Amino acid sequence: MSLEIQSRQADNGVTVVAPTGRLDVAGAPTLKDAISEALKNGQPRVVIDLEGVSFVDSTGLGSVISALKQIRSSAGDLRLAAPNQQVRVVLELTTLDRVFPYFATVEEALTGF
Amino acid sequence: MGSHSEPFEFHATLSHLDQGLETLHESVQRLRESIGRGQDDRNLMHFEIALAEIGANVLTHGRPAGTDSPVEYVLWLDQDTALASFIDRGAPVHEVLSRSMPGQSSEAGRGLPMARWLLDELVYQRDGEVNKWRLVKRL
Repeated sequence: MSLEIQSRQADNGVTVVAPTGRLDVAGAPTLKDAISEALKNGQPRVVIDLEGVSFVDSTGLGSVISALKQIRSSAGDLRLAAPNQQVRVVLELTTLDRVFPYFATVEEALTGF
Repeated sequence: MGSHSEPFEFHATLSHLDQGLETLHESVQRLRESIGRGQDDRNLMHFEIALAEIGANVLTHGRPAGTDSPVEYVLWLDQDTALASFIDRGAPVHEVLSRSMPGQSSEAGRGLPMARWLLDELVYQRDGEVNKWRLVKRL
């Protein structure tokens, strides 16, 4: 399943990027493009809503790290929301759960952001 | 695409990255259904993560540019152990079994260390002009 992405702006101005499908070596470039687009529009605060992501691999994870670097270089920040169990396993295995604060829902991620 | 019968065995010839990865996930789903495990089964999840990492590596680097060499893939079950094999015609792969997990800011290089950690056994062998991979995970 190819990765599809929808982006929207929340009431507090944060961009919510919502991929659907597998965030893997085939889908990672699509996420990178979506983050670049959000930054181009001057929105350095981004939540990636992972609810629709069925599976993540190391390259998909690399695209999230790339997004974090891009966003922080624009003085912004990134939060992850609603990762499924497989995504959480990969984050914990690679110890990236210490780098990315992740939240159970998008609403929680948006609170105080 | 693949097929299977009892005991579980799945064969496929993979020629494209996206479709190939789709086939790998489909094969694990068939195995999951065949042995009555749920989506949250931790050992099978670990196996699927490792399989996708090695599969992505093989599908990306195992088909030399300008050639039409497909990757041969087999998944089978031996009692309570899942086994998978890939055969590709890419260049030899070095340091498969010794690469360590990169630092947290690195955007690449986690696939092989993750696969090694998640599997009970990962075997890589250069055999003439082909690379042979074998993945083993007790379920």
